Amino acid sequence: MMKTFFKTIGNVFKKPVTTKYPFEKTFIPDDYRGLIGFDENLCIWCRRCEMVCPPGAIVFSQDMEGKQTYHFNRAVCIYCGECVRACPKEGAIFQTAEPAPCALKAENINNGWNKLYAEALESRELYAAEKKRKAAEKAAADKAAAAKKEEENKQAGENQSGAV
Amino acid sequence: MNKIETTLVDLKKDIAAFYKPDLHHFMVMNAVEVGDKIEIQWFFSDYAYPCETTCFFALINPAEQIPSIKDIVVSAWVAEAELVDLMNINIENTAKGFVLEPDFESGPLRKKK
Amino acid sequence: MAKQYEIPIGAQHISLLEPLHFKFTTENEKIVKTDANVYYVHRGIEQACCSKFKFRQVSFVVGRVCGLCSISHTTAYSQVAEKLVKIEVPKRAKYLRMLVIELDRIHSHLLCLSHVAENSGFEALFMKTMQYREFSMELLEAVCGNRIQYDFSIVGGVARDLKPQVAQSIMERLKKFMPQLDELVDIYKNNWTLLLKNKGAGAITKEDAMRLNVVGPFARAAGLAVDVRNETEDLLPWKEVGYEMITETGGDVYARNMVRLRELYVSIRIIENIINGLPETPLITETKAFPDGEATVRLEAPRGELFYYAKGNKTQVLERLKIKAPTFSNVAAMAEAFTGNEYGSAPAIIASYDPCLSCTAR
Repeated sequence: MMKTFFKTIGNVFKKPVTTKYPFEKTFIPDDYRGLIGFDENLCIWCRRCEMVCPPGAIVFSQDMEGKQTYHFNRAVCIYCGECVRACPKEGAIFQTAEPAPCALKAENINNGWNKLYAEALESRELYAAEKKRKAAEKAAADKAAAAKKEEENKQAGENQSGAV
Repeated sequence: MNKIETTLVDLKKDIAAFYKPDLHHFMVMNAVEVGDKIEIQWFFSDYAYPCETTCFFALINPAEQIPSIKDIVVSAWVAEAELVDLMNINIENTAKGFVLEPDFESGPLRKKK
Repeated sequence: MAKQYEIPIGAQHISLLEPLHFKFTTENEKIVKTDANVYYVHRGIEQACCSKFKFRQVSFVVGRVCGLCSISHTTAYSQVAEKLVKIEVPKRAKYLRMLVIELDRIHSHLLCLSHVAENSGFEALFMKTMQYREFSMELLEAVCGNRIQYDFSIVGGVARDLKPQVAQSIMERLKKFMPQLDELVDIYKNNWTLLLKNKGAGAITKEDAMRLNVVGPFARAAGLAVDVRNETEDLLPWKEVGYEMITETGGDVYARNMVRLRELYVSIRIIENIINGLPETPLITETKAFPDGEATVRLEAPRGELFYYAKGNKTQVLERLKIKAPTFSNVAAMAEAFTGNEYGSAPAIIASYDPCLSCTAR
């Protein structure tokens, strides 16, 4: 018991072990799992990262011309790296080592994201329906043009035989 | 895993013949829905190397009463109390209310038709 | 007969880390009967895993069942999913999984020991143990990328590799930790006031341990030699890296502290063996199959035996997942371990049994 007593006296003269966190830096390794980055020029728009993401933090929306836009929510993301592993093109989506900053109330990161997610899925459905309609129209127009050409050929053939 | 089929009538006899406290160790009870019936499983394992997992299973209708094995394996009351609440099945001498609150829907793990 | 009083130690209590509730019936401050209620944090994880998530995403969901044994849940789920899709994991991935499991065991045992010291009233020892534990959190951050939720095991292998400078820093920090561990063993074994509180409190005998099917350090302290690492060899090669079983006799709080401290020496030796003998193979086995059939897996978490059962039906979503946590098996024994003790030692007994209610009431 005297050993503990002397150790306690010794502890009075040692400095504390605590790191005063916001004012001093803590240990962050250089492959810390941080924010996800995206390079638009390398992406091939296959949407595989959206399919494997466990909490649903990535979503792609599509406008009427077919161009897709990438949306990412840093508060829903769990920083697991599944999107990086699933991407077939290296460098299009990657994980940095910077810790994510906190979200402010003005960003409306929870309810605003739910709305954005629903709208993005809807925009893709609208584009797909529009594409299907245009394809059906074109097919009908092609069919009509082909039928008309055949009619003209038949007419020309009849005139030919009539003239002789 | 070694699966042994049993029925509700023979259940206590089979388990009492198999279970020896110094050789075997009761792990947990489980229930899986198979079509219209429910398959109830009792898992045991041995204290040896290499060990083997033994599973006694019985196919029952959802409304039948299952005999309790609390007199053979004392610590089974926790597993039985959990299944009664979560799967809405009937085990003798086990009351509801260990897991879920009384005003919650009973049997949340059952498949919704 | 003396008058009987019912005293609860409630869901909110200043000395409890976990939300559990016991109602004691006491006679002259000695406990006679106990009623347990442990489902305060039920989140419906089994239901979510079988309806909302695909089978490859479930390993991330399951890692969030518990904050202290996150690697045990992800590894056990990955193993059961690999049995369902019928693939075999490369050897380097097995060794890396064992490395993180043992590092996790170090930090979890030190946390439990510090909590026992705090509940016995020795606050300075609680602070000292927490100070010595900090190095393991930094090592886990260097290996897995995060201090607590390491999403390290995935279906098919392991997510990250071990870099040589990280391996070297692990060996250096462990060498620095050994004399600190010797100092802790000396205090927990010989300090007179701590022994007054811990020796003889919350004791169970070996026959009771067998009858009640207890697991983990709780059982090994009573003399029952049960450890999943001793019983299975097919999925993770424990005996190859130098695993040994530790038991004690006595079954009281002092014996449990000793079992946990001695297991730390075994863990340090296993980590050194793994780093010196790491094989060179790829990290992941790819497959496009869907899970089919049923399978079970057992794994040794820091608190005892963890059991997983899964059933697949050839689609991306599992049919049924059943998780059994180690504390789930110990609840029945816990209720019996209180009888005969005084009400004042109830917090120390609860802390020494090391409950993890998030695992129990998932």
